[in-house]
Amino acid sequence: MKARKAGRQQERAAPEDQGAAPVPAEKETWAQHAEEAADMVAWDNVSFAYDGQHADIDGVSLTIRKGEWVTLAGANGCGKSTLSRLMNGLLRASSGCISIGGIRLEAGTLGAIRQKIGMVFQNPDNQFIGATVEEDMAFGLEGLCLDTEEIRERITRYAGRLGIGQLLRRHPQELSGGQKQRAALAAILAMEPELIILDEASSMLDEKARSEMLELLREMHGETRYTLLSITHDAEEIFASQRVLVMDRGRVVADVAPDMLFRNGELLRLCRMEPPFRLQLARELEQRGVMTADGVTGAMLNPVVEEMRKWAFGSSM
Amino acid sequence: MGIRFEHVSYTYDARSPMRQTALQDVNIRLAEGALTGIAGSSGSGKSTLLQLLNGILLPTEGTVKVLDLRLSAGEKPPKLAPLRRRVGLVFQFPEQQLFARTLEEDLSFGPLNFGASPEEAAHSARKALAAMGLGESLLRRHPLQLSGGQRRKAAIASVLAMGPDILVLDEPGATLDQVSRSELIQLLHRLCREEGKTVIIVTHRIDELLPYADRWVIMHEGRAAFQGTVRELVDTAGKLPDYGLAVPEPIRWWRELEAAYGLQAEEPCLSPAALAERIAQLVQTDARKEQAYA
Ligand SMILES: Nc1ncnc2c1ncn2[C@@H]1O[C@H](COP(=O)(O)OP(=O)(O)OP(=O)(O)O)[C@@H](O)[C@H]1O
Ligand SMILES: Nc1ncnc2c1ncn2[C@@H]1O[C@H](COP(=O)(O)OP(=O)(O)OP(=O)(O)O)[C@@H](O)[C@H]1O
Ligand SMILES: [Mg+2]
Ligand SMILES: [Mg+2]
Repeated sequence: MKARKAGRQQERAAPEDQGAAPVPAEKETWAQHAEEAADMVAWDNVSFAYDGQHADIDGVSLTIRKGEWVTLAGANGCGKSTLSRLMNGLLRASSGCISIGGIRLEAGTLGAIRQKIGMVFQNPDNQFIGATVEEDMAFGLEGLCLDTEEIRERITRYAGRLGIGQLLRRHPQELSGGQKQRAALAAILAMEPELIILDEASSMLDEKARSEMLELLREMHGETRYTLLSITHDAEEIFASQRVLVMDRGRVVADVAPDMLFRNGELLRLCRMEPPFRLQLARELEQRGVMTADGVTGAMLNPVVEEMRKWAFGSSM
Repeated sequence: MGIRFEHVSYTYDARSPMRQTALQDVNIRLAEGALTGIAGSSGSGKSTLLQLLNGILLPTEGTVKVLDLRLSAGEKPPKLAPLRRRVGLVFQFPEQQLFARTLEEDLSFGPLNFGASPEEAAHSARKALAAMGLGESLLRRHPLQLSGGQRRKAAIASVLAMGPDILVLDEPGATLDQVSRSELIQLLHRLCREEGKTVIIVTHRIDELLPYADRWVIMHEGRAAFQGTVRELVDTAGKLPDYGLAVPEPIRWWRELEAAYGLQAEEPCLSPAALAERIAQLVQTDARKEQAYA
C-alpha cells in the first residue's frame, strides 16, 4: 500500500513534465482511476487436485491489486507453483473462479489472459525456445508485434541490466546455472507483462546478480504499471515486497507485511522459514541480556558493539 | 589421499569456434573426510569443477586425482564405474538426474546398479528418502509429479542411497525452504563427522555454511582464487569483492570485533549463537572494567 501511495505522489510531484504531455488531464485521471480500482488478480474459492481427489489447492480466495508486489511463501510442496500455474491456465481449477485484470479465466479468454502474464519458471530449462539467448528474447518480443528497433533496444537494455549482455550469442543450454536463470528472467521482463510471476527466479543467482535483479524489480514496481507475484524463500526478496501470502498444505493461511512475518514465530514455523542472520543475531543477543532494541545493557559502549546493535535491531533490510 | 587438481583446464567445445574456457590451470587439494565449501560468482567454473570429480567431464589439460584414480588430459580414462559408485554427484538441476518412471526406481537404481540385492536397494531407498524428510507415499510418483523442492530432495536422496564415500553437491539448497536447507547442512555435517565422508558443497550462501565448513575454495574466472581454512578465509575476506562476492555478514562483524577488541588468532565465532556469546563475554569484561574505574 505504501508504495502505491508513493507512486501516485510521484505522479503528482512532476509538474514540469506536464507541458510535455498535452493530454486531457481529467479524462486520463478518470481512466487511471477505473484501472487502478480493478484487482489484477482475484480468486474466489478455487480448488484443484492433481489426482482429481486430494486437494492440492484447497478453497483459495485471494486478491492482488494492480501495482502491488506480493510474495507467496510456504514450505516445499505446499502448493506455490501449482497456484501460479492455475493463474495462466496451465492447470485448470476444478472449482471456483479466477479473474486476471478483470477478465474471468475460461477457455475463451485464455489467450487474452496469457498476454497479460509473464511467468519465470522454477526450472529455466523449461522455458527456452531460441537457439541463442538473443533469439530467445526476441521470440517473445516479436509475439508482441513490436518494431525491430524497439525489440533490439529492449534486448540490450534488459540483458544489460541483468548482467548477461555478453551472453546474447550463446546457446541457452550451454550456460551456467545462474546465467540460465538470468536469461530466463531477461526474456520475460523484456516483454514488460502486466503481471509478472517469478517462481524461485533467483534461487541460483549469486549476490551481485540477485541485487541487480532486485534493483530492476524495484524500479519496475516503482513505475506502478506492473503487478508482481514472487515465490521465494529469500528474506531480502521477501522484504522487497509489500505483502506476504503464507501457504500451508494448499491453503492461504496468512496475509501479512514482511516484517510481521519475521516477527511471528508461529507463521515462520508454518512456512519453514528462518529469520535472516541479522535478526537471529539480535535474538541471541537479547536472550543473553547483552542488548535490546533500545541500547546495550550496563557497559560503556564500544562503538562497534553499538553499530552492530543498530544494524541487528534496525527495522529495514 | 584426498582429491587433487593439478594444472587442470577445461574447455567446452574445445574444437569449435564457440569454445568456452571454463577452468584454467586449477591447482587445488580437497581434504579427505572434511567438509569443503566452494563459492564463486556465476560462471566462475564451480559446476564444471564438480563434474570433473567423477569423470562426467575429463580435463582438457592437467590431471585430476580422485581416490586411487587418475584422470589425465590425453590419456585413456580408467574404468569409471568404481569412481561413480564412490563419488556421488548431485547436479545443479535435479531434472538432469532423475530419469526413472517412479521415484522408487530412481532411488534404487544406484544401489542395484552397484550390486545391491533388491531388498538392500529398497531399504537404502527408504532410508535416504526419510533422511531427506520425504514421505514414502511419494515413492510411486513419477519424478516430474513432485514439487521443485521435493524433486531436489529426491535427487539428493538418490545419491545418498548409493552410500558414496565422497558426496559432491551443486547448490543443494536452492529452492529448498530455509528449515530444509539447515537440516540438509546438518545432515551432511553429520555424515562427514560421524561416518568420515568427504563432503563438497557449492553454495552462493557462504554465511549459512560458515559454521560447518572446514575448508573453502573460492573460484574466480575459472581459477581457484583462494583455498584454505575458515580462519584463512576470514583473514583474506577483504579480497572477496575482487572475486565478485560480498563479504558475508558473520565474517564482516567478526573482523570488526577483532579489530575493536584487539582479538588475536582466535577461532572465529560465525554462527548467530556463537557470535552473540562472544560479544556477551566482551561486553561483560567492558562492564567490569567500567566498575573498576568508578
Ligand atoms: N555446456 C556448456 N557449453 C559451453 N559453455 C559452458 C557450458 N556449461 C558452462 N559453460 C560456460 O563455462 C563457464 C563456467 O560455467 P559453470 O557452469 O562451471 O559456472 P558456475 O560457477 O557453476 O556458475 P553458476 O553459479 O551460475 O552455476 C561459464 O562461462 C559458462 O557459460
Ligand atoms: N504433476 C504433479 N502430479 C501430482 N502431484 C503433484 C504434481 N506436481 C506437484 N504435485 C504435488 O502437489 C503439491 C504442491 O506442489 P507444488 O509444486 O505446487 O509445491 P510448491 O509449493 O511449489 O513447492 P516447492 O517449494 O518445493 O517448489 C505437492 O505435494 C506435490 O507433490
Ligand atoms: Mg514450486
Ligand atoms: Mg553452476
